[in-house]
Amino acid sequence: MRRKASFFVILILLLSPLLGNVAFAQVQVRVRVMEASNVGSGFDSSLRDLHDQLGSLFSFSSYRLLKDETVSLSLNHPVSLPIPPERSLELTLIDQHRVTAEIRVKITRGGKELLTTLVRLAPGRSVSIGGPKRAEGTIITALSRPKTTQE
Amino acid sequence: MDINEAQLISRCQQGDQEALKEIFNQYHQKLYRIAYGVVRHREEALDIVQEVFIKLFRSIHQFKGRSRFYTYLYRMTMNTAIDHTRKMKKVPPLSIDEEEGFQLSDDPDRRPDRILDHKELEAKVKWAMDQLSPDQKAALIFREIEGLSYQEIAEATGCSIGTVMSRLHYGRKKVQELLKDYVEGGEEV
Amino acid sequence: MKSRCSSISELLDKYFDQEVTPEERSLVEDHLPSCPACRSALLSMENLRNLIKSPVEEAVERENFPWVWEKIERGIQQEEKPGLWESLWSWLDMISLRQKKILIPAVAAVVILILITAPLLYEKISSYPDLSVVEYVESDTYNVMIYEREAPRVTVIWLFEGPEEEPLTS
Repeated sequence: MRRKASFFVILILLLSPLLGNVAFAQVQVRVRVMEASNVGSGFDSSLRDLHDQLGSLFSFSSYRLLKDETVSLSLNHPVSLPIPPERSLELTLIDQHRVTAEIRVKITRGGKELLTTLVRLAPGRSVSIGGPKRAEGTIITALSRPKTTQE
Repeated sequence: MDINEAQLISRCQQGDQEALKEIFNQYHQKLYRIAYGVVRHREEALDIVQEVFIKLFRSIHQFKGRSRFYTYLYRMTMNTAIDHTRKMKKVPPLSIDEEEGFQLSDDPDRRPDRILDHKELEAKVKWAMDQLSPDQKAALIFREIEGLSYQEIAEATGCSIGTVMSRLHYGRKKVQELLKDYVEGGEEV
Repeated sequence: MKSRCSSISELLDKYFDQEVTPEERSLVEDHLPSCPACRSALLSMENLRNLIKSPVEEAVERENFPWVWEKIERGIQQEEKPGLWESLWSWLDMISLRQKKILIPAVAAVVILILITAPLLYEKISSYPDLSVVEYVESDTYNVMIYEREAPRVTVIWLFEGPEEEPLTS
């Protein structure tokens, strides 16, 4: 009897992630803005998880974190936040499929749309948007989804 | 080997990672020079250095002090680098995107056309060195890049001084022939 | 002269590498002023050394070895951690034969059940790869480049600012 009970408990526990939460939940997106340059050297510890990616692509010697914020996105509810240099970043959750979230990203300046993109982000993944210059450096904005089971 | 180094090796043999870190601090640049001399590619050279120190920690108990520690390290690095090139089988020239990313710069020495000339020459040198046997390449790299003496090269490569001289002589002759436009006497490079 | 030159030329490598005895050094240095061929050979060796060495020196000078030690530590830890199969085998060895007769069929039954029911419960799972993907990009202001790579997984949207873009001042 005990063996049968244990078997069904194990079965339910193993199957529960599959049943999961099919309703739309809030999606957490971490927004990190950094200034990449060749002035000085160093890699901000908050950017550690992006190091391999950035290091494989760029040859900047210094990555300085300017902003680190995590926003919660609900379906079709845009969230805006200011980002350097004097721009605004708007994120809107468009759709969600199990682990992957479709997010529309808009960058504006003074009301003018500079860039609109639609990206699919799974937990643990990131998209970086870079290019705008600021002083000696280049601004790179990294959008990533934390690796959590609950959002 | 001085006492400090002997102590570091002993601690490392007992699994002390701090001792390995001190060895790393002392040697990583030298090993990078050797690795880069073989592969001529930043990321691969860094991978080789990492691999060497991981291997070292695993196998340092095999070091009995019969040779100098640095020649033991150099031999490990050279073998790892040569194994790496066999696996990679890279074909020159390197593309600018792979090596430089797409960082824009106003520095004239880092303009794409200058970088391309430099990279093409480096690719030619790598190609010429790749025509040598592994033993000749090792001897040439140890001598020309690291400045090891014949005795040290013999220790690092496990051969006699006479063999070192022969490898250097024929290695140089072959590479000079392949790169004669660049090395012929009468012109400074 | 010719035979003297050929015997000196055999010493040139050693002389260039500063491995000659004092007597050998004198022989070479006495010969060089009157032999352009041997001088040229030495210059070739010097040029070759510069060709081989200079790029390496430059590479070392600009290298700051980012995170190399951390990767070595991680590599050592990964080597020390027992693999999944090793852990599983050691666990199987530990449990008694009686328990193995019950647990192994039970685990096998659960695995079969998951394989049958999983496709029914997941929706659209095969449509979306694990990689973050840029669906579209629109910009009237910038030239845009999208860069995606597998290992390490990188997705970058790069905006090229034109010269007409005025610098921003706060």
